[in-house]
Amino acid sequence: MSHANRSAKGLRIIIVGCGKVGSTLIERLDKEGHEITIIDQQPDKIAEITNLYDIMGIVGNGASYNVQKEAGIDDADLIIAVTGSDELNLLCCTIGRRAGQCAAIARVRTPEYSNEIGYLREKLGLAMIINPELEAAKEAARVLSLPTALEISTFAHGQAEMIKIKIPEDNILHNMSIADLGRKITNNILICAVERDGEFTIPSGDFVIHGGDIISFVGTRRQGRNFLKKIGFQTKQVRNTLIVGGGKAAYYLSDQLIKSGINVKIIETDRARCEQLSILLPDAVIINGDGTNRDLLKEEGIEETDSFVPLTGIDEENIMLTLHAKQVSKANAKVITKINRINFTDVINQLDLGSVIYPKYIASEAIIAYVRARQAASEESNIETIFHLFNGRAEAIEFHISECSSITNIPLKELKLEKNLLIAFIARKGSILIPTGLDTLQPGDNVMVVTTHVGFRDIHDILDE
Amino acid sequence: MNGSIIRYILGQVIRLESILMLMPGLVSLIYRESDGYYFLVVAFCGFLLGSLICRKKPQNTVFYLKEGCIVTALSWIVMSCLGCLPFYLSGAIPHIFDALFETISGFTTTGATILNDVEALSHCMLFWRSLTHWIGGMGVLVFLLAIIPMSGGSNINLMRAESPGPSVGKLVPKIRTTARMLYVIYFGLTLVEMIALIVAGMPVFDAVNIALATAGTGGFGVLNSSLADYSIAVQWIVTVFMILFGVNFNAYYLLIFGQIKKAFSIEEVRVYFLIILSSTILIAINIFDTTKGIFDAITQSAFQVASLISSTGFSTVDFDTWPTISKTILVMLMFVGACAGSTGGGIKVSRFLLVLKTVRKELSSYIHPKSVKKIQIDDKPVEHEVIRSVNVYFITFLVVFCLSLFLISFENHDLVTNFTAVATTINNMGPGLAMVGPSQNFSFFTDFSKLVLMFDMLAGRLELFPMLMLFHPTLWKQALHLDKKF
Repeated sequence: MSHANRSAKGLRIIIVGCGKVGSTLIERLDKEGHEITIIDQQPDKIAEITNLYDIMGIVGNGASYNVQKEAGIDDADLIIAVTGSDELNLLCCTIGRRAGQCAAIARVRTPEYSNEIGYLREKLGLAMIINPELEAAKEAARVLSLPTALEISTFAHGQAEMIKIKIPEDNILHNMSIADLGRKITNNILICAVERDGEFTIPSGDFVIHGGDIISFVGTRRQGRNFLKKIGFQTKQVRNTLIVGGGKAAYYLSDQLIKSGINVKIIETDRARCEQLSILLPDAVIINGDGTNRDLLKEEGIEETDSFVPLTGIDEENIMLTLHAKQVSKANAKVITKINRINFTDVINQLDLGSVIYPKYIASEAIIAYVRARQAASEESNIETIFHLFNGRAEAIEFHISECSSITNIPLKELKLEKNLLIAFIARKGSILIPTGLDTLQPGDNVMVVTTHVGFRDIHDILDE
Repeated sequence: MNGSIIRYILGQVIRLESILMLMPGLVSLIYRESDGYYFLVVAFCGFLLGSLICRKKPQNTVFYLKEGCIVTALSWIVMSCLGCLPFYLSGAIPHIFDALFETISGFTTTGATILNDVEALSHCMLFWRSLTHWIGGMGVLVFLLAIIPMSGGSNINLMRAESPGPSVGKLVPKIRTTARMLYVIYFGLTLVEMIALIVAGMPVFDAVNIALATAGTGGFGVLNSSLADYSIAVQWIVTVFMILFGVNFNAYYLLIFGQIKKAFSIEEVRVYFLIILSSTILIAINIFDTTKGIFDAITQSAFQVASLISSTGFSTVDFDTWPTISKTILVMLMFVGACAGSTGGGIKVSRFLLVLKTVRKELSSYIHPKSVKKIQIDDKPVEHEVIRSVNVYFITFLVVFCLSLFLISFENHDLVTNFTAVATTINNMGPGLAMVGPSQNFSFFTDFSKLVLMFDMLAGRLELFPMLMLFHPTLWKQALHLDKKF
């Protein structure tokens, strides 16, 4: 928290829509000290959220000029529209842009618009358009392409990946220190986070890995896979996937999977939606039926499928289906669970669901990265991506260094860095460098920092001051 | 229940009050009075005690309306107990119940006094009386919110419990900024009044005290004659500022930020001015025969109307001698009170507005039983929850009022005295009629009756429920159970 207060003045932010993404944003932006005004049509939702956080609530239609004026659009820095309706979001942002001098971020989820995102963004002058469903689908697709991983996120425009895996008890890494790993196995990847028994550590060289640990490491795509092969993990992508529920996320996911040559089968209850999907996804097998029916699942091969992704609109159903799939699967299927709403993360973490995807976090991360970048005073560096680790108690942040400063051209070992902080990689001229103490930061680099200090805005925050 | 946060905030309140007590100490230095010594001693001990209490920061800073109400009620009680010590110790008010009554009357901005001779008090005592008005006017917890960084959204519950009005909102997203703005407006207006009074020829000490007392809509004066002996110009300045401090502070916020049209379209403020205007005219006509001409009639009537509707309680004439019509209007004004979100007391104009609109809706539902109509204020629909709470407020007010009236009736004074004594304390007004009229005081009541009236003052200032909450058995059970964890 110490860093959250580093810059005195927060931004004035108006958020329209108090749903899942809206409340997640409020929770995180409020923590970072911004002045937030929330607009929603439902008074009880406003009452509830304003009791929890130090924000102002206004009941009304966020696309109305008068309501926006009341919320202070005239001197707002940013308007974020995350209501349930894409059109309303775009309208809110358009009006907000015209009424005030603020930047605008809209959530747009419908597949029809998703192909036109670039056009919409440019023509409407929006700072950002977020599509949590698409991002969630991308993440799920990445995991299905490497099913041994629990999570994969990409950095430096896809050049580097952070992969999270669980080490089995009988793995060769059991009782091996990080330094030994570097000597005996590979130097091309870097373990930047370890979760053990609900505790989070940024490991140093003498840290010893145990079976049962969940480790996250960074490296290039190829090096990451080589490492996994060396320690005895499968690196083949799945051959087929069974998806339950045919919503937007299912469409985006299927689209991605089919493009990378994975066979997709979707079970959807609504006949009309099935027909729509069959037009949109001619290569997928569309089954019309109740995906929560055990017999139907058995008939459609839940026991034999390589992977299983429940994407119904109800979290509890998704969790149930995941547990069921884990129980009956003969092929040790890879299962990915999407959690929209539930905030009992502690309970979920204990259930051993495997890979879990939270679209609301994915959406809020992109926005928080943008907000922090706006807030950073210096022009010497810029936040490119933020990725939260371990339920938001640690962050992986990618900075772009654009100019020379007090931090560049100095060997890393001579920089006085904060504790609990790790420079995970440096992306320089298209290659990924795992840094040693002798390396230096250069203008033009992208640097990823993993830290338990929450709230970095600027590369200089890594220094212990 | 979050006991540790209650303890922590109480400690902070004690500390804050101790620091504020240094100010009358300073006054005593200026006037070379030995009484100031007591303020310094009490301030020192209070600061030590407060620091001791809030030495350990609470782990869990989340609290709810329940805790907000309790901490507010307790803060005001603790504050009054600490605040009365200088009066008592110095012997200025030798009886402890009287000292407590005077302090509560100060903090709750009532201005009812038990002193026969105000002028006998030393400068620092007089200043402390006026300062309690100023602190109590906007609220000590709001002040705390403005100066002490407390994270989390729960703090709105403190403001809800302390600020008057049916629904308490913020001016800006951050509660700390809101509290600061309120105090900046409050301080600014007070300063303007002080300067205006000095320019109008009032002695500096009197001007400072009267300005502080007007700002909090309190009513303690520095002369036995209240404001009757000052010039007409001074009386008019005070009249204007009494009215101004009874206006919803949101209007000033809007004015400062250039939304003049919006500020003047606040329904409550318009009704407030309408009531003032019509009552002034009615009373002026009614008392015309007893005055020295039309201007004198308007001066007197405007001053009393402003004084009573804003619940200040200054007087320039003994309105107890006025005709019954005028007295009745004044007593009614006492109940109406000022606007929500001001420093004034009473039931508040906005509540009356809402209730009248509810009655109109009820009437029209007799004519058109199936008609649907949402009650609106400022062209915005009012939540059912707010209307319900306003209705409950009226009933609760009535119950507390009647009960208090019954309890003090044992003393066998006449009904007008008892009725206006309760009305004037529960509405945080000051003087009443008959034996508690403007030229009289409250010293003749027994200790028990004073206790009842003290409760009424606190209940009226905190809008009943925080004080009534203290009597809820569940809370006591929870509190006692949690005591072990302290």
